[in-house]
Amino acid sequence: MHSLHFTARVPVFDANVRVGDLYDEPAPWRDRAGLLAEMDRHGVGRALIYHAQAETLSPLEGNGYLQEWLGADGRLEPQWLVMPTDDSLAQIQALHRQGQVRSVRLFDCKVVGLPFRPWAYGELLTWLSEQRIPLWIPLPDANLDELITTLQAYPNLVTVLVGAHYSHALWVRPLLQTLPNSYLELSRYEPIGEFEALCDRFGAKRLIYGSWYWRYAMGPMLFYLHHTRLRDDELALICAGNLERILQGEGRHD
Amino acid sequence: MIEGVKVIDFHGHVGRWDLYGMKDDPALMLHAMDQAGIDISCLFQIFHPDGTTGNNLAARFIAQHPDRFVGFAYVSPTMPDRMVPELARAIDELHFVAIKLYPPYTPWEFNRPEWHPIYQFAHERKLAVIFHTDHLRQNRPRFLQEIAPLYPAANFVAGHSGNVPEARAEAIAAAQAHPNVYLETCSTFRTPGVIEQLVNEAGADRVLFGSDVPLMDPRPQLGKIITAAISDEAKRLVLGGNAQRLLKL
Repeated sequence: MHSLHFTARVPVFDANVRVGDLYDEPAPWRDRAGLLAEMDRHGVGRALIYHAQAETLSPLEGNGYLQEWLGADGRLEPQWLVMPTDDSLAQIQALHRQGQVRSVRLFDCKVVGLPFRPWAYGELLTWLSEQRIPLWIPLPDANLDELITTLQAYPNLVTVLVGAHYSHALWVRPLLQTLPNSYLELSRYEPIGEFEALCDRFGAKRLIYGSWYWRYAMGPMLFYLHHTRLRDDELALICAGNLERILQGEGRHD
Repeated sequence: MIEGVKVIDFHGHVGRWDLYGMKDDPALMLHAMDQAGIDISCLFQIFHPDGTTGNNLAARFIAQHPDRFVGFAYVSPTMPDRMVPELARAIDELHFVAIKLYPPYTPWEFNRPEWHPIYQFAHERKLAVIFHTDHLRQNRPRFLQEIAPLYPAANFVAGHSGNVPEARAEAIAAAQAHPNVYLETCSTFRTPGVIEQLVNEAGADRVLFGSDVPLMDPRPQLGKIITAAISDEAKRLVLGGNAQRLLKL
């Protein structure tokens, strides 16, 4: 029986939530309470959050704005932006020494012509691999050949490929095929039937639910996941289980 | 069917676009529809400017499941002599129920005279016309302000509701100004609050659920309506009530 209402039926840990204002666009919820209310409305228990200012302007400064969102209840977990500079890596390493780093997200440097190549990112990728810290990589900013060739040089690094769109339809299978320790985050991936087809081809263990709220509404992709032929154990992996394992440093499949 | 509402997807395609994973496989489409409770998908084929070729392809596709698919006729002013005869054929012989127009595949803004014979036909037949709309030159929803009052017996639908904030505001303004303007919801931009904005500012009786199937799976697009903070009555109208009235289904 289909309903006019929806809430998740499995535990949900959203792998991709942006908080805070962009310089040219205020967030719909400007505080922790508003975000938690939106999560409650859809049945989302926990969320991995990063700050809008860290995504668009400065990882160093933007990461600092995240603290006020975290609270003590564990529902919002921080994700830090990082770029291949000495001061950015030093910031992440300092947070790591304090036990605050379970994942990081790549800041887009391609916009100024810095390619995702080992000669530019090697120190960062080596350190993340050694520390078993997973890296979130936004696909809208990526070059497919750089992504595959560079990540193949760091086979122990666990990555979450974020924001594949239907315009990436020809990328997704080569990425998952050639990078066994990569996961696909699903916030924008809408080609017809692809959730089920990717699950059949690669297994639910390779897929992760993220909403990319507040760039996108929080509920629609979660609704979609709950209206497929996936089994509930597969749904539970995609909605929370895989992410929990990755954040514990246990994301490798090889 | 969702809680007694016959769910009608107002925006769907026939044809493949392999670069983007768009597969017009009826089994895939019906599976997605069934999983989410979508009863009917409105389909059109926009890849042939003569209209006839695409309309025939759409008719053959629809004939496989005539209880689940309905057709919209496509024509293009790039072949002006064919427009009205092909519309008459598609409506009278193929039994299509509305018209789809795609200004990006033409050089002309859709308020230009090249398009008006189509609007006159829709007016005479009391048909709905859905346009692709967005912020680009040919596709601005503000053109609805000019054509809607000229053809009051036709209904005009802003596909994607303009897609981005500036064009969305134009679409809403047109719906507020003219009783024969409607707003359709599909968009790859699933921006928070958009469904609420359309319903609150244009009225729930003027908003139509659409998905862009099979370019996009209809389930997340349906999820935009179900998870929006709008009333149950508004959801009933958006999901099917308005389309049923408009298409006389």
